Amino acid sequence: MAIDCLVLGAGQEVGKSCMVVSINGKRIMFDCGMHMGYTDSRRYPDFSLISKTGDFDNALTCVIVTHFHLDHIGALPYFTEVCGYKGPIYMTYPTKALAPLMLEDYRKNMDRRGEDEQFTSDHIAECMKKVIPVDLKQTVQVDKDLQIRAYYAGHVIGAAMFYAKVGDAAMVYTGDYNMTPDRHLGAAQIDRLQLDLLITESTYATTIRDSRYGREREFLKAVHNCVAAGGKVLIPTFALGRAQELCILLEDYWERMNLKVPIYFSAGLTIQANMYYKMLINWTSQKIKETYATHNAFDFKNVRNFDRSLINAPGPCVLFATPGMIVGGFSLEVFMQWAPSENNLVTLPGYCVAGTIGHKLMSGKPTKIDLDKDTQINVRCQIHQLSFSPHTDAKGIMDLVKFLSPKHAILVHGEKPKMATLKERIQSELGIQCYCPANNETVTIPSTHYVKADASGTFIRSCLNPNFKFSTHSSTDKSYLDSNKSKAVSRLSVSDDRATEGILVVEKGKKAKVIHQDEILHMLGEKKHEIQFAYCIPMPMARTEDLSSTSHMLCGFDKSTLISRLSMILSDELSEGNILDLGEELQVESFRVSVCSSDNCPHRLSSSLQNGSESVFFCCNWSVADEKLAWKIISIMKNSTL
Amino acid sequence: MVILMIVMLSRDATAVLLSCSVTQRTMLDLQQFAPEDMNKQDSSDAVFIQLGCMVRDMSLDVRLEAFEALGKIGLVSEDILLQTLSKKVLGINKDKAYKPIEGLDISVSAVAGAYIHGLEDEFSEVRMSACYSLRTLTVFSLRFACEALNLMMDMLNDDSTVIRLQALDTIHHMATSDHLKVEKIHIHRFLSVLVDSSSVIRSMTRKILKLAKLPQFELFKLCIDGLLGNLEIYPQDEADVLSALFHFGRNHGKFTVHIIEEVAPEMEPASGGKLSFDSTRVAAFLVLAISAPLSHEKDVSAIPPRIFSYAVTWLGRISYGLSDIMNQEKLLAYLSECSRSSTISLADFKINEALLTVEGDASIPLCSKVDSPVSMPFWKDSGGISDYHHQEFLSLGKSAAHAEYELGEHSELRKYVNLIFKKVKDSWSLVELGCTTEACKGIRACKEEVASFTTESPGSFGAVAFTLQYLQVIEMLAKVWGHLRATKMLNPNGVGKLELLFAKLDRRLREISNRFIGLSKGEELQILDLVLVACLLRLSKVEICCCNAAMKLLSSTVAHVEYLHKEGSIEPSNFVTEVKKSLHDADSSSSSSSCQPLLFKKLLDSFSLQQFVLYGTPRSVHAELAVPGNDSENPLPFIPGIPASIPLAITLHNVLTESRLWVRISMGEESTQFVFLDLNLIRNKKRSINVVREFTFVAPFYRTPKAVSFTVRASLGLECFRENVDRVKVFGGPKCELTYLCPEKEIFLCKSTECKSKSAFT
Repeated sequence: MAIDCLVLGAGQEVGKSCMVVSINGKRIMFDCGMHMGYTDSRRYPDFSLISKTGDFDNALTCVIVTHFHLDHIGALPYFTEVCGYKGPIYMTYPTKALAPLMLEDYRKNMDRRGEDEQFTSDHIAECMKKVIPVDLKQTVQVDKDLQIRAYYAGHVIGAAMFYAKVGDAAMVYTGDYNMTPDRHLGAAQIDRLQLDLLITESTYATTIRDSRYGREREFLKAVHNCVAAGGKVLIPTFALGRAQELCILLEDYWERMNLKVPIYFSAGLTIQANMYYKMLINWTSQKIKETYATHNAFDFKNVRNFDRSLINAPGPCVLFATPGMIVGGFSLEVFMQWAPSENNLVTLPGYCVAGTIGHKLMSGKPTKIDLDKDTQINVRCQIHQLSFSPHTDAKGIMDLVKFLSPKHAILVHGEKPKMATLKERIQSELGIQCYCPANNETVTIPSTHYVKADASGTFIRSCLNPNFKFSTHSSTDKSYLDSNKSKAVSRLSVSDDRATEGILVVEKGKKAKVIHQDEILHMLGEKKHEIQFAYCIPMPMARTEDLSSTSHMLCGFDKSTLISRLSMILSDELSEGNILDLGEELQVESFRVSVCSSDNCPHRLSSSLQNGSESVFFCCNWSVADEKLAWKIISIMKNSTL
Repeated sequence: MVILMIVMLSRDATAVLLSCSVTQRTMLDLQQFAPEDMNKQDSSDAVFIQLGCMVRDMSLDVRLEAFEALGKIGLVSEDILLQTLSKKVLGINKDKAYKPIEGLDISVSAVAGAYIHGLEDEFSEVRMSACYSLRTLTVFSLRFACEALNLMMDMLNDDSTVIRLQALDTIHHMATSDHLKVEKIHIHRFLSVLVDSSSVIRSMTRKILKLAKLPQFELFKLCIDGLLGNLEIYPQDEADVLSALFHFGRNHGKFTVHIIEEVAPEMEPASGGKLSFDSTRVAAFLVLAISAPLSHEKDVSAIPPRIFSYAVTWLGRISYGLSDIMNQEKLLAYLSECSRSSTISLADFKINEALLTVEGDASIPLCSKVDSPVSMPFWKDSGGISDYHHQEFLSLGKSAAHAEYELGEHSELRKYVNLIFKKVKDSWSLVELGCTTEACKGIRACKEEVASFTTESPGSFGAVAFTLQYLQVIEMLAKVWGHLRATKMLNPNGVGKLELLFAKLDRRLREISNRFIGLSKGEELQILDLVLVACLLRLSKVEICCCNAAMKLLSSTVAHVEYLHKEGSIEPSNFVTEVKKSLHDADSSSSSSSCQPLLFKKLLDSFSLQQFVLYGTPRSVHAELAVPGNDSENPLPFIPGIPASIPLAITLHNVLTESRLWVRISMGEESTQFVFLDLNLIRNKKRSINVVREFTFVAPFYRTPKAVSFTVRASLGLECFRENVDRVKVFGGPKCELTYLCPEKEIFLCKSTECKSKSAFT
């Protein structure tokens, strides 16, 4: 059987992650994301490839969503409510809790931009009703063959890697993950599993990142310098994830350095998100879990709600404002006020979508930004670019692949050239077959199918027989503490390599069975057959006393004399084998030779009939095992005279 | 084979746990298993790499064990060490691979970034373990230490205080092993810790600063600013900041002078003749200024003397800060000396002379020994105290005289002391590796730390004194060990030095085994172990061995050890059994020469320093000796040729009644006389307490010379029963070696007529 992987999105690109895997007859859809870069039909995965008729309920066994980012979940309401999928959907508890926030936020933004509405609030609510939440390391039996299990993935709160097993075939879909912990989330964690296939993200297929402490240090230094000089810091961020991490970082630093400068959160989503985070403590990093009892890390002591009137209040402050990348909304409003002062600081995330103000600020250092035809912003403030990223780097990917050691790996969610490099590395360094398919391609890999075999008693007994080998091994060791003199110690080492040979028998309608070779005849009800080779070979006679008496020879020399002569010849020439003289015949192992008295021996070659009168025929026969030996003897016989 | 085992086990996470603990134990036996064509270095490299692969395991326990094990491998190539600090595979390690066993390939790239991962691990335990294991590895390579410092500076931003503290400790460790190269990029990060809200962190940072030696003035100035900032934000740190400034300034004489020149106007009295000495900032600069003359640099005489007199006005505050260096009186004396002379040459001369003793270990100029040399002569007339140490003894003696209680079960001090013992044990492994100097440095740092422990609480005086003594023993032992075990050939100069070392070691050992009572059997046994080692060390060197005496001591010690074992039914250690066995062997084959240095060397191999754990409350046996009213101006009268009587006021602490005490009176080098002090005959004036006795004893001095005046030196010695004296017997003197319980006291005598005339004159 085979595993078929149909890539509907995130193949050689980042965006609209979606993968349909058929594994031993079950079809699972991993993630159902949307592409943020497109507004046309390319925005969603091409669901028609799953089923021409649109009967998704029968075509898919289940849908699994790894985390709440839109490129992993954005198309889900569309798929369930518009396309009509009604089957089970699995996601972790935090994802289920936070996904509606993300989707709703996105829908509102779409509304604002005046785009066609793809789904409504009701759609989101309806869709979420179909979701079955799972916990970490909880094995869920989807149906009688398919079981899935979620593992902690870091990345964002609630992100999970999913393990799926059907029969003997097993696979892991990582979603996005992070192998290094950050201030609020732990590192990805998974068991050692027997896998046929690993599908992993490869956002940073070639990048190797430094320690996170460096990044934190830069950020803290920039912020501290700014507030120390009386400036205001604007941190435009999305509500979930990065905002919490940075806030924990600042909170800790504030605490340690005894800073009293206020930190603000712009009202709305972030506050709500913080509330969720507080409830989802179990999904955060060890540190936060440990201190939870005494102090909830998301209970920010220094953080207050921001009020519009505070925008122009004197004195330094730090403000977290949504949305990120300064695409509009409140962060843009504040930016317009604060940008003209060189005392102030704006931090930007590592990645900004082209066309946003964030992107403009990142590319070069503009002094003026045109918002629209009438508005122009003077930018004199400092810009600090954050290099935090919740994705694992190349080393992390390699570490995970090495740790899991699957039989095959598929790379998704990355840039094509970099993925190719990583693919090469995985194949050459780890010896694991690796693929990086494009969208709408299908990769087929063989799957494992285990057959249980019984073993016969004889076979088991033969396994139990030890197979000792002894060898002496001498070495001089000086550091042997117990013996007070250094001396050469020769050790007898014993090895016991138990290799047992058996025969696997698969009969129709019966279980497979491993049996010992002695049993096979009985089992098949057959007799033992042996192959014997025979050859009648002439040996020239040395003319001794009487030339004319050749015809008499056979009679003259009795057979035993001839045999004993032959025996002498062979014992001179033949190095191996034990020659047994049995009077009428000679025996070396299974090789037997006797004088042939019959004139038309069936084993005699016709060409050797010449000079028949001067030769004595010997009839030889041997079994297959001693073929080499036989031919050696024959060649000796040919080249010598009696 | 070990490697193979690790490889096999590393496939299975749970088994790795096992393998790690196994690895630690087998690490030393590794070379015995390694194939012949692989040297020690390669095999330990290979093990290091294998362990390095495990630090990325998914299981917390495996990672923990892996880091712990990594820190225990002593011998690792620099290239591999550097690779652990970089996630990218270094060029030099690209194609490096080890083949310890057929069919097994270990690539160096496997350890890439092991420590980066470890230090940013989610679990603080792992980060802690990584930090700690780095600490031991930095000793081996300067380059590695520099790179590691980068990471450690980052760790100062960790969210856990414990880890920040451990990072600082690691940096401190680098500093003590001279592997700390501070650069400008570090200094900002480092100084930011000075304003950390945790006082422990701040004080640890200052402790490192005390050791720092910076190459540039710019950095120096930044550090001073940092310390001033600390002082400003946390006024409660003042004492320690001042102390740090003092040490720091002393390490950077030239820079200090320079900076004082810059800020001199600030320190001047404001207009109107009123001194504006109200800011702590000025105090800080004053401390900095007064530290300059004590630096080792020569041209530091540029500090204007008046500054020292300004400092006098701050005496209380400054001396509070510098209490670990000198007491108030001494500080005053020092300041007045420095301010009196228009040129600083006098003070300069004296102090430098005084500092000679510490110059040897200039990189740790923190030794409290610094104190004693500053015993300026002009004090002698003031208090009749000849030595600062002595004075300290007196004052401490008084506090101890109240009553020496048992040390509390969970006393802080016991914890600290046992931590010190643990450190000592760690340093001993360095000694075994041949890094004696480094180990001694570590031990000295410990000594300094112990010296800073307070002895206020009941029972603590004995414990602290004992710990110090123990550290001194170990230090001497380390020195001798390094001397004997490291160099193959002993040059003739070395023999002399070695003898000196041995003499010192013997004295220290005598002191530790005789001057403390109240030790448990286990504790006593551990000390006896050390005595045994000392004996063996002596025996293992033919050149200096005086075989009979050493053998005698050895066998008597072994006998005592045996007795203690029986008494306390304690299982003898491996080392002791070995020694016993070979002693029996030597006895049975007594016909052959009894000196078998090789045999003793072999025995030394089986010695490993056990961690000393203090359970009981050791009480220090010591005494005070004084001649009331005697000094060079008021000598005791004597008549030449006729015995003179010397009234000695003696205070004994913790001296048992059955111990034999001798008063040793010596005149110059040539004549020494012992007077036995029978404790049974001494009746206490006060109610007798077993712990402290005070009495006056009139000691006769027989051989008075034909001179107008002379001085004798008297001290009190305790007879050590186990050590017989082999040297020339002094008639009537002690049969055994003496341990002296107090410093020597100088006593002045003057011909009685002269005396009279003198008194008439006055």
